[in-house]
Amino acid sequence: MITVHPGLPIIWGIIVGITILLISIWAIWKPISTYTTDSYYSLLKLPIIGKLIHQITIIPWLLLVIKVIVVALFLLVIAAGLFGTPIADRNIATILTWNIWWSGLIIAVFFLGSAWCAICPWDTLATWLVHRRLWKRSDPYNSLNLPVPKQFRNVLPALLLFIILTWLELGVGVTVSPYATALLSLLMIILATISLAIFERKAFCRYFCPVGRTIGFYAQLAPIELRPIDSNICMECNSLECYHGNATVDGCPTNLVMGRLTQNTYCTNCGNCTRSCPTQNIAWRLRLPSTEAIQTARPHWDEAWFMLGLMALTAFHGLTMMAFWETWMGELTSFIGGSGLWSFSIGLIVSLLLPLLPYILALSLIKYFTNSELSIKQLFSQFAFIAIPLAFAYHLAHNLNHLIRESVGASSVFMNPFGTGTLPLSLIENQAKHTEMLLPAELLFFLQTSLLIFGFLIAVYVIRQRGRALLTSNPWQLSPMVLFALLITGYHLLLLMEPMVMRVSGVCLPFSI
Amino acid sequence: MKIILSLILIILPLSIATAHHILGRPTYSLNEDSNTPPSMQVETHIGRYLIKYIVFPAFPLPNEPGKINLYVTNINTSQPFTGQITFKVRDNSWFTSNEEKLGIQLPDDNVFRQGFVLSKTGNYIITAIFEADGEPYIIDFTLQIGRLPAIGPIGITVAIIVLILLGVSTIQRKKLQNTKIRNARIDS
Repeated sequence: MITVHPGLPIIWGIIVGITILLISIWAIWKPISTYTTDSYYSLLKLPIIGKLIHQITIIPWLLLVIKVIVVALFLLVIAAGLFGTPIADRNIATILTWNIWWSGLIIAVFFLGSAWCAICPWDTLATWLVHRRLWKRSDPYNSLNLPVPKQFRNVLPALLLFIILTWLELGVGVTVSPYATALLSLLMIILATISLAIFERKAFCRYFCPVGRTIGFYAQLAPIELRPIDSNICMECNSLECYHGNATVDGCPTNLVMGRLTQNTYCTNCGNCTRSCPTQNIAWRLRLPSTEAIQTARPHWDEAWFMLGLMALTAFHGLTMMAFWETWMGELTSFIGGSGLWSFSIGLIVSLLLPLLPYILALSLIKYFTNSELSIKQLFSQFAFIAIPLAFAYHLAHNLNHLIRESVGASSVFMNPFGTGTLPLSLIENQAKHTEMLLPAELLFFLQTSLLIFGFLIAVYVIRQRGRALLTSNPWQLSPMVLFALLITGYHLLLLMEPMVMRVSGVCLPFSI
Repeated sequence: MKIILSLILIILPLSIATAHHILGRPTYSLNEDSNTPPSMQVETHIGRYLIKYIVFPAFPLPNEPGKINLYVTNINTSQPFTGQITFKVRDNSWFTSNEEKLGIQLPDDNVFRQGFVLSKTGNYIITAIFEADGEPYIIDFTLQIGRLPAIGPIGITVAIIVLILLGVSTIQRKKLQNTKIRNARIDS
């Protein structure tokens, strides 16, 4: 069953095109000035919400209540996937996982950073199983507490798992199978539990979890962060409860020391630091969005690969929903033979490698223009931060399309999560489902256009500020990287302007002949 | 009297609700040739054609005969397609391409009818191939044979987790014992 979503109209495409061209001219013309990042607003100052948010981070049972609800929904997804109807449109497993959670998660990052990690059911279940405590400090003898082998102490395992997840999602079609969705959910519990039982702290969250790392990197753009209220208190602190924990609260699950924290990437917002800090010196605060990606986040080789991989994979999601993709895959399959999964796998690998060529070319040109002594590897890590706003903007614009066009009537699965005795959507119902939208189409187009421009603008800021700090204050010398950002945004724009072919599961109907 | 009437009114719907017949026939006697079997239906359009694919029964069991009815109608003219259609089936497992031809069918009362019997539980892909206006049309439809196991995946998950937890617990208990013995020796 195939449904086609209309793409972004040409007028919106022209607006994006003209705006990003103007930004590009500004980027290589205007001298680079210092970017100030020291404006913050503590959420504690907000009248009622501030206190409520603080209470959630301080009182463990409040967070526990949310965790219990999320775990209950997650177990319902597994039960419905295994025992419920195989009709994806009628089963809560597929609707809640792929239509609501997976699409909405990225939108939530925009406002809440990596708050999802605090209530993640994979980690919650693994913690309850291994630590056998609801929230109190775990017995060290419940886990082997081995250090993660040095070669795995990076985010490359998470990138590999993210590629596998994409392959399962788009290649195998997990998204249209409640049963496969349930199996994937069970697999994630197993992986999280094994990791927690073997390795120290929460190695799964820090190194292996593809979802956690994705939203962790995107959280660099979020306007919210968990940080010390007074950094002087942290400077004078010798006990480091935020890192080690105290008698009742575990230490930081991802090895972070609050006083030295400069980026959201690995913070899971679990609240251990807020609960263990003897001076109650840690709280949420608002900040200028994207400051980490633009300036404060430190470059690492493995993280650079993850960020670029993330950018390639988000675009790949859109690419596979184009009509011409089906044609390409059909031709490749008839050429190489075998099942379509082989050609899909080749397409995935090519799509992952393709953005690397113009990126390395841009780096080489910058190195040539600036006569820099920095190696390509160093430049590769430094400029990879531009991938985050570019990937995030497209990811969000793409997911908005899914969420706004496919969520109407999704709440009906909560009344009958297993889809017992339900009839499938007929062709007319399916078309109605995809034409009725949560928001007006023009508003969706406006949001998508704004997001692409926002992503490009932040990418340009990243190029200018990171380029200035490392290489040159002469902006035109950074023009190859601006061109790269222009190329990627142009590619994303084309993907958004093309009609999106949605694969919908088969429908079942008691039918009389 | 009112109480008796009320009781009758309460009991009456319950006895009606226990009927299990469709058009006077018990459901267990329905098969793919019955006039009202439960079925699976997929509607799609490809090129200039609207395709309706119906499988009887909805989820056939292994070694149970099933039937595919395919309706192919030109969207512009509303005329049914009159050529021949080739039906193929393949196991929808990863990286396999074991494809078998089910048959070539001509329309029977504007319906392309293809029977099948599959022996193994699992997900299959039915491919319908035809040529119209000089262009080839290839359409894949899913077909589920039997009920996929539900207890198995839960059992495997529980078994893996229990094994891991038991293993960790045993190793840590030994470590703890060794530490106690070592400390006792040091103390003595």
